[in-house]
This record gives sequence, C-alpha cells and structure tokens, in this order.
Amino acid sequence: MLATLTAETEADLILKSQQGDRNAFGELVRHYYRRVINVVYRMCGDTALAEDAAQEAFLRAWLHISSFSRGEPLLNWLYRIAVNAALDILRRRHEEPVEDEMLQRIPEQSSGPEDALIEKERLALFQQAVRSLPEAARSALVLREYGELSYQEIASVLGIPIGTVMSRLSYGRDRLREVLKEQILQAESEYV
Amino acid sequence: MCENMPTLLNAYLDGELHGRRRLEVEKHLVSCAACRNALQELHAISDLLRAAPVPAFLPAERFVAQLILRLNAQGIALQLPRRPLRDRVPKPAAWAGWLVPAGLLGAWFFLRTIFTLTTAISAADAGGLLGQASAWFTGGQSQALWVMAINSLFSSQMSAAQQSTLSLFNQVSVFSGDLFSGFLWQALVVLLYWGWLAAWWFRHAPQPVKMVF
Repeated sequence: MLATLTAETEADLILKSQQGDRNAFGELVRHYYRRVINVVYRMCGDTALAEDAAQEAFLRAWLHISSFSRGEPLLNWLYRIAVNAALDILRRRHEEPVEDEMLQRIPEQSSGPEDALIEKERLALFQQAVRSLPEAARSALVLREYGELSYQEIASVLGIPIGTVMSRLSYGRDRLREVLKEQILQAESEYV
Repeated sequence: MCENMPTLLNAYLDGELHGRRRLEVEKHLVSCAACRNALQELHAISDLLRAAPVPAFLPAERFVAQLILRLNAQGIALQLPRRPLRDRVPKPAAWAGWLVPAGLLGAWFFLRTIFTLTTAISAADAGGLLGQASAWFTGGQSQALWVMAINSLFSSQMSAAQQSTLSLFNQVSVFSGDLFSGFLWQALVVLLYWGWLAAWWFRHAPQPVKMVF
C-alpha cells in the first residue's frame, strides 16, 4: 500500500510536473494508479483494455498537466480524463464483446477450486452486466461505486447537473438489477 | 415502488439526502413495504458492485515504467511544457530574431505589389483603356481652377511680378493636387491589401487548444 500524499507534497509534485519533471509525475501516477485503473476497469470490463485506457489517461494527463487548476482535487481531474479515455477505447473497439483472459489473474481468495471458478464466473457475469449499461449511466455508477465520489463531484467530473447524476444512478442500478436477474435466471436454467 | 421514489431511494442509499428530505423518506419507508424492498435490492446491488473482485493489474512500478517508455517512444516529451505558462512569455530579443527578416520580406512584398499595380495602371492608361478616368489619378490639369478664375478676372490689371507669383502658386497647387490624387488611389490599394491580410490572419490564427480529454 502506498503512503498517503500530504496536500503540500501533492501540490509540490503537481508544480514540478507542470514544469516538466517526469519523476514528479511518475510519483503522482504511482499514487493514483490503483484508483484510476479500478474505475477504468469497471468501465471497460476487460483488464487489458483497462490497462490500455489507464495508460492513455495518464498520457493525456501528462500532456495537459499545465492546464490543471488546483481548484479541484487531482483525483477528480484524473477520473474525468480516465472515464473519457475508457469510453474512447471502447468506441474504437466498437463495443465488441470481450473475453477477459485476465480473469485468470484474479487472486484466489476462495476456499477451493470450485469456489474460485464460481467467483470468476460471478465476476464475468457482473462485468458483462455493468458493460451492458449505457455509457452515461455506467460512468455515473462507476464513479459512485468505485470512485466513491459524491453526487456533487460526479456532476463536476462528468459536467452534468446533480439532478442528472441522480437520475442516471437510479436508471443504472435499476437496469443492473434487471440484467442480473435475467442472467441469474438464465444461468440457473442452463444448470438445470 | 411509489412514483418518484427510485431517485430519492438512490440518494438516500448514497447518503446524499439531508434534513427534511431524509426524514420524509425515512417516514415513507416505515409505511411502504414496496419501497423498503426496493431499498434492500438497491443495497444488495451496491454491495455486489463493491464486493466484485479486482483482477491483479500490472504492478504500479511496471505501469509507470511502461508509461515513461511510451512517452519517450512517441516523442511526447518534446511537446511538454518545460516551464509554467507564466514563464513562457516570449522575450523581445526572441521576437526580433524573426520579426526583422519577416518585416523586410513583408515590406518587399508590399512594395512589389504597389509597383506591379502602378505599372499595370500606367500601361492601361497608355493603351487608353481607362479613358477619362485616368485624369482622376494622374491629375491632368495644367492650371488650378482658382488660378483660372483670377486670370480671367484680373489678368489685365496684374503686373509681371504678380503674374509670376500667381504662376508659382499655380504650380504648387497643381503639383499638390497631383500628389494628393496620386496618393489617394495608392492609399486605397494599401487599405485593400492590409484588409485582405487582416482577414487572412483572422481566418488562419491559431485556435485555443480545446480541452477535451
């Protein structure tokens, strides 16, 4: 686990990055990488795509770091870039269904191989359900559940009013519930 | 579930309702089983989302190394701002380096344009293509109107000295009239030229960078 950055250290690293110091930017990437890639992964539903999108996001962040205003948290700024990078990558892939081979890399926390298999199937099912959501609802939901942002922050990151955040989250969760019910029913019927 | 409740239940679940609105939702939940069930389902969905396992991504060190390699491979480092924006004001010496040759080139191009136009108009005038209009920009009068009037009224009463003075004033007047009319159309050409240049500049001026990530 990485040590927490103090506000002063972060401000210093941002300033150095804005002056072209790559090591300082590397420190910022190291610090925010986990959180950014987790959000991007939930957007893409595929580990390889998520790693590509995270690279793209940090690359864009580096290019535009001089325009970063300290009026907002750096993480929110990175989330904004990351969500757009993920959506761009997905659009380039024409929303092809992806088989996430990297699911094999899930750390085995379950008690046995059967449980591990069930866990992986569950994740695959879940990722598929999240990816089936429209982009707008998915972005809001991912930022809320995985980015742990407040409604105000989501509104700021996505550039939409709070009322729209509320309706997108409501729609997203409702749709997710329906899709998961369908998938579970389908899985059960196949099992029987 | 009751109408308008889904959005409020989501906000309640996320801890985004406060004060009176929160109390209203809590009061409603006590009396409405459908909304209680809906809230439970929302809780379950949220828990499932958060409990979803995370794959083993690239270690942070390796990710950063790959990122730096990509920056180097694409030559992106060259485009990076090496100094904050406030320090990037060009110095006068740096401007002068290219302003002098650019200014000389502009002046040469400008004079060349004027010369070409003048030659073309002179040729057209010599060929009789401009007719009476040539008098407008070449002058064409040997005596100013006011001199003609004085001559017709007082020529018999004027001494030789007065007539030579009047002739001198006449020459000055005709010369300045020719000069004015000559400069008038050239000034018009200059204005048109700079107008075109300004229009071209506005059309091709660098646009501010659009901050779409």
